Amino acid sequence: MGRKSYVLSFYRSATFNLPGVVFLLSFSFLLTGISAQPNRDSAKTITINAIGGLQYDLVRFSVKPGSEVKLILTNKDDMKHNMLITVPGARMAVVNAALQMGNMGEKKSYIPAMDEILWSIPLLEPGESKTLSFTAPQKEGVYPYVCTYPGHGQVMYGAMYVTRKEMPPLKDDIHVPPVAGAHKGDVHIHDNKDFAEQKRAAPYLYRIFLPGASPAAIAVRLSDSLSYCWDAGTCRLRYAWYGGFLDNTDIWKGHHDAYGTIMGTIFYRDKTNFPIHIDHPGNIPVVQFKGYRLVNKYPEFHYTLDGIDVYELIKPGEKGVALIRTFRVPQTERILWFLFDNDDGVSYQASKGDRQGNKVRLSPSDAKEFTITMAKN
Amino acid sequence: MRRFVFYIISLTIYFFSGCHNKKESVEQPTDSYIVETISTPEGVKAEIGALTFLSDGRLVVCFLRGEVMIYDPRSREWSLFAEGLHEPLGIMAISASEFLIMQRPELTRVKDTDGDGVADLFETVTDDFGITGNYHEFNYGPVIDKEGNIFIALNSGSSGGDIQPEVRGRLDTTGRDNHGKEMYSVVPYRGWVMKLTPDGQLLPYASGFRSPNGIGFDADGHLLVTENQGDWVGTSKLFHIQEGNFYGHPGSLIWRKGWNRGNPFYLPVEALDSMRTRAAVLFPQNIIANSPTQPVCDMTNGKFGPYSGQLFVGEMNSGRLVRVVLETVNGTLQGACIPFIDGKGLRKGINRLAFAPDGSLWVGQAAYGWGGDNGIQRIRFTGKQPVDIYDMHLTDKGFDLSFTQALDKSAALSQNNYRLKHYYYEYHKKYGSERMDEQEVLINKITLTPDGKKLSLTIDSLKAGYVYQLDLGDLRTIGGDTLANHLICYTVNQLRVEKE
Repeated sequence: MGRKSYVLSFYRSATFNLPGVVFLLSFSFLLTGISAQPNRDSAKTITINAIGGLQYDLVRFSVKPGSEVKLILTNKDDMKHNMLITVPGARMAVVNAALQMGNMGEKKSYIPAMDEILWSIPLLEPGESKTLSFTAPQKEGVYPYVCTYPGHGQVMYGAMYVTRKEMPPLKDDIHVPPVAGAHKGDVHIHDNKDFAEQKRAAPYLYRIFLPGASPAAIAVRLSDSLSYCWDAGTCRLRYAWYGGFLDNTDIWKGHHDAYGTIMGTIFYRDKTNFPIHIDHPGNIPVVQFKGYRLVNKYPEFHYTLDGIDVYELIKPGEKGVALIRTFRVPQTERILWFLFDNDDGVSYQASKGDRQGNKVRLSPSDAKEFTITMAKN
Repeated sequence: MRRFVFYIISLTIYFFSGCHNKKESVEQPTDSYIVETISTPEGVKAEIGALTFLSDGRLVVCFLRGEVMIYDPRSREWSLFAEGLHEPLGIMAISASEFLIMQRPELTRVKDTDGDGVADLFETVTDDFGITGNYHEFNYGPVIDKEGNIFIALNSGSSGGDIQPEVRGRLDTTGRDNHGKEMYSVVPYRGWVMKLTPDGQLLPYASGFRSPNGIGFDADGHLLVTENQGDWVGTSKLFHIQEGNFYGHPGSLIWRKGWNRGNPFYLPVEALDSMRTRAAVLFPQNIIANSPTQPVCDMTNGKFGPYSGQLFVGEMNSGRLVRVVLETVNGTLQGACIPFIDGKGLRKGINRLAFAPDGSLWVGQAAYGWGGDNGIQRIRFTGKQPVDIYDMHLTDKGFDLSFTQALDKSAALSQNNYRLKHYYYEYHKKYGSERMDEQEVLINKITLTPDGKKLSLTIDSLKAGYVYQLDLGDLRTIGGDTLANHLICYTVNQLRVEKE
């Protein structure tokens, strides 16, 4: 990549290592030739996808010495990836050699001419798939596979175990990328130091993708056992849960679609078409999110309904699993209706207004400030 | 002219400081630039989404997991200003207690209203654009022009991901190639640069962006955006953004006012090609940069070395920055790119850059699932003038190259020290392009000005639409110092019709 490697190819381009490539090809033919048995039907099929986040979705597999292997690599990422299978311990040497290819690298799919490379699948475009058939080495060992596209090889790799025995436990496996290994055992290992994993005092919040909401979701830790999802895209409380808060490990890996994982039990989900109607039930307002203010660290959301300013602050109930929602509508001449569904998991109490079944009618003066208490059934 | 005066000044400074330093050569720094690593706070993943400086010298940092923290370089202490933001990727300071921050769902005013040093107000400045939850719909900016307009850039969605069951904004899948693997725009203004007027209206400004992870202005106020190599982007590049233009990635076209041509991915390539505006500067893949990021303009008046008024662009894929020099030819902005730093402890993954009031350049790194490092580094000019290409200009016969120091004449006039080639990149839906029609270009004549600082290369023929890559060999100063960088790539869009 750098100038050094560039200068190298600059002055030596005439003698670029073509014989090496030929040698490599004949070497791998030789290898396959010696041990190949014409018995493709019994080949073990391994399917690996290159996925977002510079990773193979399969970080290891095992095959028996001398057995037939059919490896299908599909690139499901949005950037190019290849796969090189090397002799044991040669992963970084191969990665570094690929880096040194400089200008020539792309043309040669970042497959350097080296004896350490046993088999390879060239660079695949996004969506492309290629199959590699080969005979596993007779010699038992851990044969790395790696993507040698510049920048990928440090993290994008896996291990082919050639063995008759069981593979070691994944979490102890030093031949797979650290995250992959740690994740099977304990998802929190790598995030111990992060804010989300610290024992921290509620309330606090994360704006993050959450299931069951628009992508403009906000997760609020309300108390040490109560949390809710408020949706800034639709300006409404979507659901609430008790238990743990969130596990953001997956989404924080980056470079792939993911949600924060709810670490508790959802006890309430809004089932109305919208909880506040204006003038008369059925008149759903046009919403606009305006932001929030932290009041003793609790967010007070600000949004407009048909242009009317509404402020909503949610606090935990004093006993049991309950939410106390305080609404403020400082300036309106219009009647507001608060609606709920009888089967949404909670029972309702309104501090003001005229309750009519599953509706509460709020006059402009009621609406100046009112609370809706929602207690888990 | 201004540049010429600057030369004389810097030459004078160099001359005197050079003489002076001879007596105390022990203290003469060996490098022109030093890279220092800044320790980031315990417990916060140091993926840097945004950097800016306060006028008092404090650094404000957005971390991708949502924290906004302030670092005081004097005490080396960090304090938390805000948290919980959704993937903040841009920041602009209004004051020491108020910032505009670009996060995933919106542009937000984050403000400390009670003076306790911690933000308590998060006001939505604009969320008038769509989001689908696709991981790649990053948002960039804000940057502000002289009239007070704010610009942001919205990434297209990735074919490596999908959309969530619920999206924000009107869903229209016409902006997606169902047969291809291209990135897409299925909610309004993904793949656009947007303008937020001082009265708060968010207006579509320019279309055709795939992954514009870098937006900024040059010294003359031109709005610039970097683009990453991929589908419809043969190699990474720097665009000069002008209102109404289309910059090449098709999906975003469906949000053009009055668009009636159906799925833009199915238009003939020739039609799309004729609509698009070409890049001011191409960054050849694997030669200059693979993932360019934020452009910043050196307005330090020499505190950061001899490159005042030039641009520095982050690059995620290697431990280097890219320096960009621009000029206007036939009314069109074009120019050249040059590696800067390259190694010296500079880590990969450079996502954001900011000049400190003291003239040092701070860079923030973020791997975020791609290859790279995390953290913050500071690049400091030591005062030792680098030996470097200063800039490159197109002439009617070839190129003029200026250098920061006088070159040794015999080396400078030796044909063996130059290798010039040209190539172009194909515009197509495929991911990236090979270098097409890559050919050596013969240099017919080399001349050096008497001051030893300006080379003129005369070449056979110049072609528009090509990158001219010049590799310099063993050029050196009269004192024997060698060049810091040996490579420069000039993108020729326009030819000079006659000598100016």
